[in-house]
Amino acid sequence: MATANGSTVIGESILINGGLQGDEDLTVRGRVEGTVTLTRTLVVEPTGVVKAEVQVKNCIIAGVVIGNVTASESVEITKEGRMVGDIAAPRVIIVDGASFKGRVDMGEVDVSAAERSERPAPRALSRPAPRPALTARPASRSAPKEEAAGEVAAAPRPPAPPPALGVGAVKRKVVVKRK
Amino acid sequence: MAALDKPAAPRSGANTVIGSTIVIDGEISGDEDLTIEGTVKGKIALRQSLYVESSGVIEADIETANVEVSGQVTGNIAATDKVELKANCKVVGDIRAPRILIADGAAFKGNVDMEVGLRGPSPRGK
Repeated sequence: MATANGSTVIGESILINGGLQGDEDLTVRGRVEGTVTLTRTLVVEPTGVVKAEVQVKNCIIAGVVIGNVTASESVEITKEGRMVGDIAAPRVIIVDGASFKGRVDMGEVDVSAAERSERPAPRALSRPAPRPALTARPASRSAPKEEAAGEVAAAPRPPAPPPALGVGAVKRKVVVKRK
Repeated sequence: MAALDKPAAPRSGANTVIGSTIVIDGEISGDEDLTIEGTVKGKIALRQSLYVESSGVIEADIETANVEVSGQVTGNIAATDKVELKANCKVVGDIRAPRILIADGAAFKGNVDMEVGLRGPSPRGK
């Protein structure tokens, strides 16, 4: 069956150390160390351990993956999955129970596209709101107070320390004057 | 004796299969049967059987118990039990094993060492 489907299985006791690349699904029940490059799906089963730089189309992690995973479609960490490394994929699924440490990058293009498509109306409402508020608030000086307060608070503070040095000089002068 | 059981049974339940589009550059080791339909470069060390299917290409040194080659192997083969070169296979390298079978139609270039001089009866003993 497995051979007929053209899928590859790495058995439990098998250790592969080096580069692995191919154009078919790969199921790992054993250990793979090095690099894995596939144009299809990598499945790491619960007994599988992959310590590698992984580049695939899809990745399903039910075992252990240590290394960075880059997928052109999706990465899914199941409840049995454990992963340490960075994920870069347009779709990243982390199920409850999964353990993961690393960074996730779903791509900046998709984020901006999502904002443009999903929040055109909210932005139109939210953007005008702050602008009038800023233009209106200077009159009432509700918001500028905070900014001004921050500037004022920041402005006096730098002068304060120099006087501390100057104060010593002044004190000496004062002492001289007292004599 | 045991050879009668080996070919069919392990293959049907083959645990590990390296598919035809897979290329592995490195080392493979393990304790189970391995079927290779793709390409492996580097080294293979198993305690069980290695099957190199007709689409399989191996550029590696092989250490296993059994080897059956229907595809291409470039590298030295050392088996503790048996090496079988089937028809239409291509093998370049040295073979060392107690039992070596070369079928009609197999292409082979290399040395054969059955350890005859030192341990003639040992294969049966094993």
